[in-house]
Amino acid sequence: MSQTIALTPVDLVIATALVFVAGAVSVLLRLGLERRLAVASVRTLVQLGLLGYVLRWVFGHDTPWPVLVWIAVMIAAAGRAAVARSSRKYGHVHLDAFLTLALTSLATTFTVTGAVVGVQPWYQAQYVIPLLGMVLGNSLTGISLALDHLLESLDAKRELIEAHLALGATRWEAAREPLAEAVRRGMIPIINSMSVVGLVSLPGMMTGQILSGEDPVDAVKYQLVVMFMLAASTSLGCIVIALLAYRRLFDAAHRLRADHINAASS
Amino acid sequence: MPAGLRVEDLTVALDGERKARCSFTLAPGERCALTGPSGSGKTTLLRGIAQLVAPVSGTVHLDDQPPEALGYPAYRRRVVYVGQRPALTAATVRANLEAAFSYRAASKPFVLEGAQTCLEALRLRDVLDRPARELSVGEQQRVAFVRAFLLAPDVFLLDEPTSALDPDAEAALEALLDADRDRRQSSTVIVTHQTAQAERLGAARVEVA
Repeated sequence: MSQTIALTPVDLVIATALVFVAGAVSVLLRLGLERRLAVASVRTLVQLGLLGYVLRWVFGHDTPWPVLVWIAVMIAAAGRAAVARSSRKYGHVHLDAFLTLALTSLATTFTVTGAVVGVQPWYQAQYVIPLLGMVLGNSLTGISLALDHLLESLDAKRELIEAHLALGATRWEAAREPLAEAVRRGMIPIINSMSVVGLVSLPGMMTGQILSGEDPVDAVKYQLVVMFMLAASTSLGCIVIALLAYRRLFDAAHRLRADHINAASS
Repeated sequence: MPAGLRVEDLTVALDGERKARCSFTLAPGERCALTGPSGSGKTTLLRGIAQLVAPVSGTVHLDDQPPEALGYPAYRRRVVYVGQRPALTAATVRANLEAAFSYRAASKPFVLEGAQTCLEALRLRDVLDRPARELSVGEQQRVAFVRAFLLAPDVFLLDEPTSALDPDAEAALEALLDADRDRRQSSTVIVTHQTAQAERLGAARVEVA
């Protein structure tokens, strides 16, 4: 197996120069993005830098607590991001997104680390955290798409849904179609990326493994597990968020509570 | 003897602090028209009677039973609301009419001949296999009415049911409603801006407070 080439600070400085290419484009075309680019670059630097040290510290402790705390932080951040992308919200939408991500991403991640990879002990951060990170990243995309589509269609098709209710449909009968369509919408990106994986895109994890000297076939094995894990967690996530939103937006009297949906203030 | 529809101090919230309230009782076969200036909450009250909006206070009873005792879907099949704007899916007229018979609350099957007869009574010919949204607004309004009519409800809640119809189609719809009342003792609560229509239907005026 080949030797990993460790990056020196000088290498990082050279890489930083690449950001200035983006900056130059912005200046030349007067895109006005220099400031945002600078802020984004600094955030990338600080966030990843912190992550490296936090993970080194977490990896160095052979107890589950630091891992669990870090997991909670990751899920909370993913939940916020999932909701932030939606153009409409409802009361408790943050809680629902958090619950959805916690339930589905933990279930799939620990299924993979426990049953497939066989990580010992179960909380071994080196496996759990990167895998969970990938699951969360993909789930949050799916969930935010599903949520956005669901709230938009409940808003837009409100008269049609109420017509069904007025004709004696139960809330489930009236909501089924928009719910299914929302789940579909949320699942499309992961299905698309499963179709082109390896042909168009080399997944980040595989790239990382290959860069760090792993045998490509071994890297592919991991990537297969990861892709199927992402498909499972994204579809579960879309279904759970759709059902939680359904519970909040249709009441026990089989009414659509469109008054609970509000446009995001931005 | 069924007691009909009893609406007691039904109060619904409008925008802001405003509220609308009404009270009336309709024995089988009776009709009433909710009246009041535009923006006074007639539509919201009609939706409140259908339990599509949660009332602030007050009660509704059908044959002395509240909707929660009957089950909301079952109640709405017997007290069916037809909104002013027709809400049809992009599917065919037939599929739109049939949909309501696939619900769990449906107690009888869809009868194609019955649907055909109704559509023709309302001057709608050869529309069954056309996509509903390709019809004119006036045609869609009649299809939406037929969709509710086929459920044979105890009470029709009609919000400006002929607003997009020409006088001929309007008369046909009123005639269909009259024939149904004579045959089944169906009742109607109507919101209409035409006093003449309320009078033609013999609807008692109920002032919205």
